[in-house]
Amino acid sequence: MPAVRASELQVVGRRIPKLDAPEKVTGQIAYADDLRMSGLLEGAILRSPHPHARILSIDVAAAERLPGVRAVIHAGNVQQGRFGYGNDNAPLKGDKVRFIGDEVAAVAAVDEEVAKRAIELIHVEYEVLPAVFDPYEALEDSSPSIHDELPDVSGNVSMRWDFDHGDVDAAADRAAVIVEGRYSAPQAAPAPIETHVVIASFTPSGHLTVWSPVHMVFMYRKALADVLGLDWRKITVIQPPVGGSFGGKIDIDTHDFIAVMLAKQARRPVRLAMSREEEFVGTRTRQPIHFRLRTGADAEGNLLFRDAEVVSDNGAYNAWGSHAMLVAMNTITSMYRVPNSRIRCAVVYTNKNYGGSVRGFGNPQATFAVEQQMEELADALGMDPMDLRLRNANQSGDVTPQGMEITSCGLSQCLDIVREQSGWDRRRGKMRDRHRGLGAAAYIHVGGGARIYGSDGCGAIVKVDESGQVTLISGSSELGQGSETALAMIVAEEMGVPIEAVHVVNSNTDIKPWDVGVHASRTTFVAGNAARMAAAAARDKILETAAELLDARASDLRIREGVVEVAEEPDRQIDFGRAVRRRLLREEGSVVMATAFYDPPTHHQDKEYRGNISAAYGFGAHVAEVEVDPGTGMVRLLNLWTAHDVGRAINPMSCEGQIEGGAAMGVGLALSEELVMFDGLIAAPNLHDYGLPTAVDVPRTVVNLVETVDPLGPFGAKGVGEGGIIPPPAAIANAIADATGIRPREYPMRPWKVKHWIDSEERSHVVAGKDSSGHG
Amino acid sequence: MADVFIPGSLEEAVGFLTDHPATAMPIAGGTDLLVDTRTGRARPDRLVDLSGLREIGGFELDGELLRLGALARIRSIELDPELGRRATALVEAARVLGSVQIRTMATVGGNLCHGTPSAEMPPALLVHEAVAEITGIGGQYSIPLADFFVAPGRTVLAPGDLLTSVRARVPSSRAGSCYLRQTVRWSMDLAGVGVSASVHVQGGAVSNARVALSAVAPVPMLVAGLEDTVVGTDLAPEVLAEAGRQAAEACSPISDARGTADYRRQVVSVLVPRALRIAWLRATGSWPEGSPAPVNGVWTREQR
Ligand SMILES: Cc1cc2nc3c(=O)[nH]c(=O)nc-3n(C[C@H](O)[C@H](O)[C@H](O)COP(=O)(O)OP(=O)(O)OC[C@H]3O[C@@H](n4cnc5c(N)ncnc54)[C@H](O)[C@@H]3O)c2cc1C
Repeated sequence: MPAVRASELQVVGRRIPKLDAPEKVTGQIAYADDLRMSGLLEGAILRSPHPHARILSIDVAAAERLPGVRAVIHAGNVQQGRFGYGNDNAPLKGDKVRFIGDEVAAVAAVDEEVAKRAIELIHVEYEVLPAVFDPYEALEDSSPSIHDELPDVSGNVSMRWDFDHGDVDAAADRAAVIVEGRYSAPQAAPAPIETHVVIASFTPSGHLTVWSPVHMVFMYRKALADVLGLDWRKITVIQPPVGGSFGGKIDIDTHDFIAVMLAKQARRPVRLAMSREEEFVGTRTRQPIHFRLRTGADAEGNLLFRDAEVVSDNGAYNAWGSHAMLVAMNTITSMYRVPNSRIRCAVVYTNKNYGGSVRGFGNPQATFAVEQQMEELADALGMDPMDLRLRNANQSGDVTPQGMEITSCGLSQCLDIVREQSGWDRRRGKMRDRHRGLGAAAYIHVGGGARIYGSDGCGAIVKVDESGQVTLISGSSELGQGSETALAMIVAEEMGVPIEAVHVVNSNTDIKPWDVGVHASRTTFVAGNAARMAAAAARDKILETAAELLDARASDLRIREGVVEVAEEPDRQIDFGRAVRRRLLREEGSVVMATAFYDPPTHHQDKEYRGNISAAYGFGAHVAEVEVDPGTGMVRLLNLWTAHDVGRAINPMSCEGQIEGGAAMGVGLALSEELVMFDGLIAAPNLHDYGLPTAVDVPRTVVNLVETVDPLGPFGAKGVGEGGIIPPPAAIANAIADATGIRPREYPMRPWKVKHWIDSEERSHVVAGKDSSGHG
Repeated sequence: MADVFIPGSLEEAVGFLTDHPATAMPIAGGTDLLVDTRTGRARPDRLVDLSGLREIGGFELDGELLRLGALARIRSIELDPELGRRATALVEAARVLGSVQIRTMATVGGNLCHGTPSAEMPPALLVHEAVAEITGIGGQYSIPLADFFVAPGRTVLAPGDLLTSVRARVPSSRAGSCYLRQTVRWSMDLAGVGVSASVHVQGGAVSNARVALSAVAPVPMLVAGLEDTVVGTDLAPEVLAEAGRQAAEACSPISDARGTADYRRQVVSVLVPRALRIAWLRATGSWPEGSPAPVNGVWTREQR
């Protein structure tokens, strides 16, 4: 499609509040938790209290006898298959439990209270086994084997991600400077306000409908069929509005299978709603990853190599988290131009809750290591870290060692902007007397889909009805990120109709065409291109009819605000509705409806992790300013400057919202969020102890949108959903380093850790009468 | 689901609670009790709603004496300008408790009676020489607030007892107080360490000083024996550091997800000097009037 100049755009580029905002802010939208239907039963799950144990027996007799109980299920009385990469998981465990929270049995009852009481009446006999929580310990020979039933797993290594490019050892010999360090990212949670809720209901004839706020709805349907032995042609999945996901609801989870099995057994619709505690304990988390990283450069500051040993702490089973290395690897090999790289990564089972997909997916973790090392390297070279970054920045036309083809690229521009706005050159390294510091971090992330499945495509249907209303039926769905609004804007732009005329339908597998699902910041790019193609085709049908009615050539027509007119004689015009009616209300009439399918021109990675998996890459840079209280270790984040290459801002308001929201999550990761565990037990599964940041913890965030107009994105747009969360942990760590001279090795940088680092650093130097009381 | 009893008077409330010692609990703002009910920490069958009992609400100043009704809402303390001058520690503690919504419901009595080791009100009241007034089936009695707390989540209150008010001494001149805390987040957080200090000044020297701590012992505590260190001095840096050391020695913190015992002791030794110093500046009129201390006692130039 031809590039469009901004001045020609009518809708794209306008600041439009999300279309569903009024319903959301007035509380009228019906989330999954608001749905009720007659005969609805409440489900509850019995979870393992042990991190590792063999199940000897399960006695459900007392639970079944409790009045009001309609179904009690466990591995011994249901038909269920296995799931997860390597089929290492099952909805209900029959042999062993492998973490505190593992699903053992479930109940459906007339209300929540009865269901909970029934759960308490189930008696499970366990043989408690030794457990392992530290992935390095899990690698030792003496460690208990968590998946002894899987013949391919040895030493608790679930999988490896090893990568080689060039000759790292030769590069290391040539390097003028090498920095080396360990960096750890903890187990975090997506912590959406809406917990997981699923409702499953069978018709008497056996058709299953599931209401679930899941992203990957078509794969969800297939997994239900495969694991539970159902006919997938008799399953409808409906996605109610999502009250926050951040990746936590990407895919099918154990409780989804359980709800369906309960509904089947009870022959009644069953609702299974996670409590806040269960959301933390029993749904997926962000993969903890530990890096040992070395980076080397020549004396001029040209990067020569990166060398990484990585241990990815998988938890008890393989869910998406096991693949967080897919993205972490991109960052290690391809953030900046790195001619040689080596990665040795083991994904290791431990007796803990397991990792799923959370916004940024492996990238905040890897960027924490890579971008701290950029500043360490600059300091070692006596160079400004921004100069080092700019010297090595990715540029349009680059092909990275993993075969990522960089097309539009605003990285240097983003770095320049945050450097200028933060007063970097004047202020960095000059505020230590006031315990203040500046730190930067940039990112690379897929921004034009991510081919991780046979198809990375999305279908779209655009229909114009006899009233002139335009309906987009998109394969993709809305998570609260504003994609519905962006897609409506793309359709409105392409068709020449006002945004109010466009409705979006995107939540029912019976109606909508295929989409792989919302992930990898791909919706505006992939679903947007599909919507634009379908809109163009529908528009052409309108033009064809209008030409006939106006007795003009289609090429002489133009569309303005939903009215087709002859360009030279605007009085000769006809609106969309009338054009459709003329087509429809006649013998041998027809409707105006067009379909399209867009699958980005990308490739699966080969066995050596090479291949252009995305049709575009997003870039951005942040600078953080902190003040550290050396007495308490409390860190105050004062400022955050951000610049993001978004290709084109379809809706600048949404772009800013995505970046601000992402950055706020990144700030939480950096300073406060952590699922603290003792022997596998999450100490306090609530939002307070978890440390979700509040408005007071997040400073005013300056957002700059850099428009590089991507050659393949719809109107030049590329992905923006995840970028914001990626740099803050690294940027804030760098700022703390600038303020104090310490080098944070792990996040969250909670006060007691910062204090500990400062004191250890001070003890290693001669104390020169420094006043740490902070009074000035 | 519990039944709610709405008493017409304090006597009725005490009578009802005494008649149902095992099953009934008083409820004030409910911001602790409703959470406890959900987590199963409390399982009352009957709730006695205190919120209508005017006689134990509000607060009044009578010379140097402050009488705080048990039902006084945290938000009303936070917003009172006179308390801001006279009982600065109390107002600073009120300002950081929960959110506006929580403070609007939360009461002083609930905060004290819940017995949370990290609660905000106890240290701030302890430095103001607070005395608890209690009404029970046996009548009325009062004890120093320092003796009110028994163990985490436990106070001296017997079933049927109600805290009715707290008396505190809040001099109108030559005195100052302060409340500081260490937290993970900068708002909506419980103290990892809470420190309150009060200082009285006469003739350019400290005539009297108190330091109280929270979250670093099973119960909120006054630091004993500080007088010898600080009285008669002008709180020079060495004196402050010594006071900090004494306080750190006096407490007995534990290690948990929010910090190690060592760390908490270190923070006590840092926050105590800061709190004493700010209290001194207030007592000597050198602190900008009406200006609250930063949460951790350190100025940040761009305060938001
Ligand atoms: C989100 C949130 C944040 C919070 N943040 C903080 C914080 O930062 N700092 C802090 O200290 N607290 C905090 N709290 C705890 C709580 O808000 C306070 O402790 C509050 O002051 C309790 O008062 P209340 O009136 O709501 O007590 P209630 O919940 O009504 O009662 C608490 C307990 O005291 C008993 N009780 C109440 N009044 C009396 C009385 N007069 N006599 C005898 N017994 C009585 C009740 O039976 C109950 O056991 C927070 C709570 C929430 C939910």
